Amino acid sequence: MMILTGKTVVSAIRPPYPYGGEFVSQFLFALKLCWFPLLVSTVAFGYAAPGLQAANFLVLFGALDRLGGFFVLASIREFAPFVTAIVLAGVAGTAITADLGARKIREELDALQVLGVDPVKNLVVPRFLALMLVTGLFDIYALLFGIFGGVVATLVYNEPLGPFFATFLTNASTTDLWGSVLKTTLFGAVIAIVCCYKGMTASGGAEGVGRAVNQAVVIAFMGVFAFNYVFTQTLLATHPEINIIR
Amino acid sequence: MSRSESDRDPYEEEAAEQAAMDTGADPPSEAVETEEAAPPPAPPAPASPRMPGRDGGGPDDDEFRWHSEERHAVEGVQDAIEFIDVHKAFGRNRVLRGLNLGIPEGKISMILGPSGTGKSVCIKHMVGLLYPDAGDILVHGESVPSMTDDRLFEMRKKFGVLFQDGALFGSMNLYDNTAFPLRQHTDKGEDEIAEIVDRRLQEVGLGDSGEKMPNELSGGMRKRAGFARALVLDPEIVLFDEPDSGLDPVRTALLCELIKEVHAENGGTYVVITHDIMSARRVAEFIAVLWRGRIVESGPAQELFDSGNAFVRQFLTGESDGPLGME
Repeated sequence: MMILTGKTVVSAIRPPYPYGGEFVSQFLFALKLCWFPLLVSTVAFGYAAPGLQAANFLVLFGALDRLGGFFVLASIREFAPFVTAIVLAGVAGTAITADLGARKIREELDALQVLGVDPVKNLVVPRFLALMLVTGLFDIYALLFGIFGGVVATLVYNEPLGPFFATFLTNASTTDLWGSVLKTTLFGAVIAIVCCYKGMTASGGAEGVGRAVNQAVVIAFMGVFAFNYVFTQTLLATHPEINIIR
Repeated sequence: MSRSESDRDPYEEEAAEQAAMDTGADPPSEAVETEEAAPPPAPPAPASPRMPGRDGGGPDDDEFRWHSEERHAVEGVQDAIEFIDVHKAFGRNRVLRGLNLGIPEGKISMILGPSGTGKSVCIKHMVGLLYPDAGDILVHGESVPSMTDDRLFEMRKKFGVLFQDGALFGSMNLYDNTAFPLRQHTDKGEDEIAEIVDRRLQEVGLGDSGEKMPNELSGGMRKRAGFARALVLDPEIVLFDEPDSGLDPVRTALLCELIKEVHAENGGTYVVITHDIMSARRVAEFIAVLWRGRIVESGPAQELFDSGNAFVRQFLTGESDGPLGME
């Protein structure tokens, strides 16, 4: 997988760039598949976990107005990237693994190589770039709908929204925003590499493709969780000002 | 990566084996006892030429006792492709175990053998899709494993490959599949490409099917389409990976006739991987019999069909009696 990552990055940068059409096609494919599941997931997740549960806890201290500030930590920094990555891996990533796996067992990938087409440049790179772009954009989409879940939770507790947005905007910073988008974009890279690798190394017929899809999802999730830890630690260490809760 | 004891002539061992078979005796290990009464022409030699210490001694000697590795030369013809002591394993599964083979230029060659003996693995080595663990593969004298990516890319232009089931690209129709190599490797205009593609599709009987998608075609049609795609660049070497698999006997016969016709018209070196003996009888000019990762015997087709080697005879006649069992 690390070798594939290196080859993908080098192929993406080195000319020629024959993958433009495939890149657009994969971007639209992921967009079409994931927008609705992501909308439902982020609203439901934002409402339930950081929304209702946190509100339930903050009400004890009479500090429900702090829910907005909490949503900066919860939604912008963590839940929006996580939910985006999980939905993208589960929906688009599995489709990529199944597609490449089916091509592998039908010997299409071998035929491409024999016909002088580099499968990394023509299949992996467009998916890698498309998934990075779509996850980065979907993070903003997830933030908005996640915060909407928090708004709904505040309204359920019959609280005004003014304090919610006040504490939200007091604690939010551009560092939080670009950190979230960058992290999610890199999640997309992890998902693309894992899913493409598993697809291109599938063997054992249809059963092997199914196995590859299952393994791709599991490894992608583990990769996302591990990368999240490293990225979050690094971001907090390099930008200590975001640790301060106002 | 140089040739090893594969260049040694196994005639002495072949003579001993032939003598044993002519007297109706059992396999050579037992024939040695029978022949003790008559003076042998030479001291006993190893069962087959191979690198010392690699497979010498123990069960492997018995395993390769049928492998004469005798090569009946095709007069005046150079080898287009050569395998030199090639070893290839996938985990603990040793598929090729010292393969030595020469494919003559300009002939229709067939690599025959029981299922699972490494025939498809051979084809993949020829085009650099797989690399040997040991040994070398030469295409027109150039070592494939030693090639750079750019050189490999150029070398692959010499090849057309018909994979099992055609390996057509599912997102393109038949016309685009067949045109793909031309668009990829040449600067030809669409008019010229259309002329070539239409001609090739007509040749294989798919002239009216250009707009169809691969999933709309039968297995036989997919193979024929794959054949058309393999020919569009007028390759010097065409490889067929079990082109008859999944076809009924009539379509198998028709495909064989097609291969012969196209070869007669275009020339080139054709290598067909199969285990179908009827196809071999129809098409082959040169036959190599592969078993347990090595060549048992190879040579002009008629000489193989007349071979005295018990394994070759059993396999090419389809008899149940002989060295090949159900293992």
